[in-house]
Amino acid sequence: MRHFLVMTAFALAAAVVFGTVAKDTNRDRVLYGLKVFAEFLVIGLVLGWILYFLPF
Amino acid sequence: MTRVDNDSEEKAPARAWALGTAGWFVPGLGHLLQGRFVRGLLLGGAVWICFIAGLWMGGHLFTVGANEQGTSVLLQVPPMIANLGSGLLYVGAWFLGIGFADDPVHAARATYEYGTTFLLIAGLLNYLCMLDAFDISAGRKS
Repeated sequence: MRHFLVMTAFALAAAVVFGTVAKDTNRDRVLYGLKVFAEFLVIGLVLGWILYFLPF
Repeated sequence: MTRVDNDSEEKAPARAWALGTAGWFVPGLGHLLQGRFVRGLLLGGAVWICFIAGLWMGGHLFTVGANEQGTSVLLQVPPMIANLGSGLLYVGAWFLGIGFADDPVHAARATYEYGTTFLLIAGLLNYLCMLDAFDISAGRKS
């Protein structure tokens, strides 16, 4: 559980910065930040499961 | 073939360089000095939280010291550049001797790798914030 929380904190910090820096309007910033946040979480979970099945 | 119009290129004003430097040295300051308070608090807050969380988790700050021999010194340079992005936070930690310990006791902590990653990310995110403050001051961004 702690691993997931740390990954969520990392995704949140990165999403805030990416969302704020990347777009021009507030709506686009929020949407892009949410998209980046979700991408970090989903890709992190997928990679976690892939690595789980590797024997080394 | 596209013709490049050199006349349209504008040099960035000295103020932009100063604010960019301020933003690097104190995360968020480059935006706060331009009156972008929400932006400054969001960006600076993310960097400060990342850095403090990294130290709290027992992360390691990189430096090029005398312990490494030969070409292994070069391996320390890229992460040190990432850490240097934190500006005053890195310098302050260096003065206080926090986060630079390189011993098995620190490395054995369960959150050591997480902390090190958070410290690296704090610096890299602050480079983005610094460039954002520079671009806003130079009029390249709204």
